[in-house]
Amino acid sequence: MKHMTEAQLSELEQDLNVIREEVIADLGERDAQHIRRMVRLHRMLEVGGRVMMPLGFIPPVFVAATATLGAAKILENMEIGHNVMHGQYDWMNDPSLHSQTYEWDTVCTGDSWRRTHNYEHHTYTNIIGKDRDYGYAVLRLSNDEPWKPWHALQFINYVLLSVFFQWGVGLHELETEKLRRREISWREKLPFLKEFARKGGRQAFKDYVFFPLVTFPVAPIVLAGNVGANLIRNLWSSTVIFCGHFTRDAETFSEEECEGESKGHWYLRQLTGSSNFTGGRWLHILSGHLSYQVEHHVFPDLPAHRYPEISGKVQAVCQKHGIHYNTGSFARQYGTVLKRILRHSLPERLGGGAATTA
Amino acid sequence: MLAKQTQSRTLHWLGRQLFNRDDPAAFFDPLLEPINPMWIQEYTPARVEQIIQETPDTKTLVLQPSRRWSGFRAGQHVNICVDVGGIRRNRSFSLSSSPILWQEQGRATLTIKRLPGGRVTNWIHDDLQTGTVIGMGEAFGDFQIPEPARPVLFIAGGSGITPVLSQLETMAATNYRAPVTLLYFVRIEDDVIAREKLQALAARYGALTLHIITTHETDTPRYLCDADLGSIPGINARQVYLCGPKGLMDLARELLHQRGIADTDIHSTFFSVPQADPGNEPLGGQVRFSESKLGVGSEGDATLLEIAEAAGLSPRYGCRMGICHQCSCRKTAGTVINRLTGQASGHGEENVQLCISVPKGPVSIDI
Repeated sequence: MKHMTEAQLSELEQDLNVIREEVIADLGERDAQHIRRMVRLHRMLEVGGRVMMPLGFIPPVFVAATATLGAAKILENMEIGHNVMHGQYDWMNDPSLHSQTYEWDTVCTGDSWRRTHNYEHHTYTNIIGKDRDYGYAVLRLSNDEPWKPWHALQFINYVLLSVFFQWGVGLHELETEKLRRREISWREKLPFLKEFARKGGRQAFKDYVFFPLVTFPVAPIVLAGNVGANLIRNLWSSTVIFCGHFTRDAETFSEEECEGESKGHWYLRQLTGSSNFTGGRWLHILSGHLSYQVEHHVFPDLPAHRYPEISGKVQAVCQKHGIHYNTGSFARQYGTVLKRILRHSLPERLGGGAATTA
Repeated sequence: MLAKQTQSRTLHWLGRQLFNRDDPAAFFDPLLEPINPMWIQEYTPARVEQIIQETPDTKTLVLQPSRRWSGFRAGQHVNICVDVGGIRRNRSFSLSSSPILWQEQGRATLTIKRLPGGRVTNWIHDDLQTGTVIGMGEAFGDFQIPEPARPVLFIAGGSGITPVLSQLETMAATNYRAPVTLLYFVRIEDDVIAREKLQALAARYGALTLHIITTHETDTPRYLCDADLGSIPGINARQVYLCGPKGLMDLARELLHQRGIADTDIHSTFFSVPQADPGNEPLGGQVRFSESKLGVGSEGDATLLEIAEAAGLSPRYGCRMGICHQCSCRKTAGTVINRLTGQASGHGEENVQLCISVPKGPVSIDI
């Protein structure tokens, strides 16, 4: 990581705080309108998708219904759920948009997500050994992690993780790697497993039992469409999230260098450990503005639709402090993610060593 | 919170499974609201039918709540919620109409005085238009007249007259058979709320004796005194109801005690002008953790999280630096300062992050 003195870090902190405070002072009607518009759009997509689905015996309608329901789930998970649970709209004081009670349309419970993502991942971003989102304890993405033979086939694991992403995220807090190492016991994980079963069951009941059953004559079509919609959401959200921290230039950190760090150092870590991708307005909305992952990690609780507006200022601060602002086209960034997964399938001396950062 | 559940349990259970929320009926609100805001399920919608200017700084809102509202008894209050600048604000007001108006015409009124610096009352006075739909909760409060009838004395001050208006209208309509006296204190003549209505009530309801007393029309203030009480026939047999500013309520209580009237015969309703801006009040204050039924004092810039932990509570938290919102919870009253920005919060019900909120004056938290 770029070395900066405490004085420089403190200046960085102040520069970023100025951007944050400007947005906070300006929060109001416009932000409320944005999120309410998104919620309304989600309701239209969800109702539209569910209503069209039974007519899916007409092939173009099947495609439209599946895509509509998939888009509904993407919008709800990414632009609404993820952002609301970050507390981006807590200031609106609207109980249905409150970070601590929001429950989203995916297997992972809101509570589990708030612990593993909002707290662990956003506090310990990219610290190998502390940020369990770095490779999800399934993938080896940095040479800081010792190579094991099973890593050779990790690309298969990556594909499986993407296909079943909502179940992977839902089980993330199980901490299987710690269970394997016997650092924690299954008994300790029982309350979590109960919650997981309750929410996972609820989601499966809805998409794979209830809606197919109420449309009985066309149940297989509705089931197939609902599976398809979940698959679309899984692949897309997994891809967006991988582009956020696993691109070529996204840095990783060791526990030692982050011990007792200042807020300025935390900011530096967020700036250098995250990566953006460019695109049009709807690409940003469908990614929940995680295409502005850098801005999101620096200001996780500012309404996400503000990230495009402050991106220029964040870039200027990066330039001033000589920090690399990691961005590129979606295709380019995703290409470097795939390369990273493949490269670290092999031990360092067999190609993994060529990694630029690790 | 302001919602009233009406669906059957099975439907409610199914709704929770399908929509991942405890108020599944509200899932469709974003679609229904643009069509007809009276179909909102999240709270009880109430349409503003008419706005009456009572005095230069007091307005009466005539509301038509949705029929699923449960109604109220005279003297009760309601919470209303309005969106001001994208922020939902909740406030309590007394209902000023008689329940008979609700039963016969489906209407209820709130009489609201503009508070200097008050975010909600100023918005109501300056921006609220007829036809707007606001959110309403179920009525609460037990500022109620005795049944069967007993002699009653009301002592009201300023906008503290509002629940009394509701009581008097109801008493007149039901011909409450006992002497009723109202001592109504206002600063100046222009401050009298609902003067015509009061005079009409006194004219048609013989049991009512009305005294409107101005405190600041003369050089020396003319406050409630023992002679006022002495002039009321059978004062010691009366049930006394107080509603007004704290100064008036304290004075009345003291004078009533001197006359040997017991606390069991004195009823008061909460009515204190909330501090819209605590100004230069020092940091720290009395913190009430309502669910834990615990109150503790704090000084200086201790955060609510630190105060709660020092009091032996263990609220959920995460980063302790204002990032992750794990510790966000509901503040039901009071002002807090955001340690990161130095900004003061509002005084109503809203979400706060415990780890960066410092109380300024008394605060109530839902933990």
